[in-house]
Amino acid sequence: MNIDAGTIYLAIAFILFLVSAVKDIKKTRQALIAFGKILLTVLPVLFLVFILMGVVSAFVSKETIGSWLGLSSGVFGILIGEIVGSFALISPVAVFPFAGVLRDRGADYGALLGFIMTAILIGVSTLPVEVKLFGRNFTVVRNVLTFTLVFLMGVIFMLIM
Amino acid sequence: MIKDALVYIIVTLVIWGIMVIISPAKGLIVGEIALDTWIKSIKIIIGVLLIVGWIQVWVGPQTMSRFLGKRAGWKGLALASTVPIFMGGSLFIIFPLLKTLRDKGASIACIMAFITAWGGKAPLLPLEIEFLGWKFAVLRLFLVFPFAAGMGLLSQFILDKWPERKPS
Repeated sequence: MNIDAGTIYLAIAFILFLVSAVKDIKKTRQALIAFGKILLTVLPVLFLVFILMGVVSAFVSKETIGSWLGLSSGVFGILIGEIVGSFALISPVAVFPFAGVLRDRGADYGALLGFIMTAILIGVSTLPVEVKLFGRNFTVVRNVLTFTLVFLMGVIFMLIM
Repeated sequence: MIKDALVYIIVTLVIWGIMVIISPAKGLIVGEIALDTWIKSIKIIIGVLLIVGWIQVWVGPQTMSRFLGKRAGWKGLALASTVPIFMGGSLFIIFPLLKTLRDKGASIACIMAFITAWGGKAPLLPLEIEFLGWKFAVLRLFLVFPFAAGMGLLSQFILDKWPERKPS
């Protein structure tokens, strides 16, 4: 399992640019200029985002999250799972193994679902990127709606699992 | 653009500076985590942004609106609620990609559905089954589709009535 997502995306980009260069060298140059411009827009924002990730991780350890989520259950548990997931900075790859640990500590399935979905879809530290690229209203609507619909999903999980 | 970039860099350095002053030890940890995140994600950032640049030049607004625009109707929504479930990456990676789709004419409904469906994370299914059981994994996977479509429709409805004041 040495092929990570980054390699896959780089390979796709390489193929696309190869096709592009064969078809039209001028357009290929335009695409590279477009790439440079986006890089210049996105990198400084990520600079901020990654530092914010560092700040949150330095203060909220996995042990802290575990102690908050370990005993949560019921409808209230879903909410706690969602709030913790919104702040937690766990990469999607790590989120399932970590959720497994939380289950063994006693977290119920509704809370786990809330935690997993918000950990993937809501990120306090990515808010600056979202506002910059899509606007304030978009960001508010997406995050509030996601939180609400994930809650409903959590209720379904609570009833079925 | 350069001015924007400088503002972000200065804000970042100020936040980090404050951290270091409050607690040098925590400041060091913050720096290490940020550096580690850079190293881990630089490949995917470059890869995705290259694809974004390619799309900007090669994919016309007409193509985009045919597949993901308002004109695409329920087919566009169905596409946006299913296909992204197979994609990898983190939230901050897919935002620039979706920004380009949006600028090229993809509807808000499709963008919202896209982000949500991407949260389905089908490539990680084996991990999910191993740690949480197949029942949990399958139920989550099946609920993500209506969740994504619902996100798309509801947010389009709300944002039509509450549009952005200034174009971002």
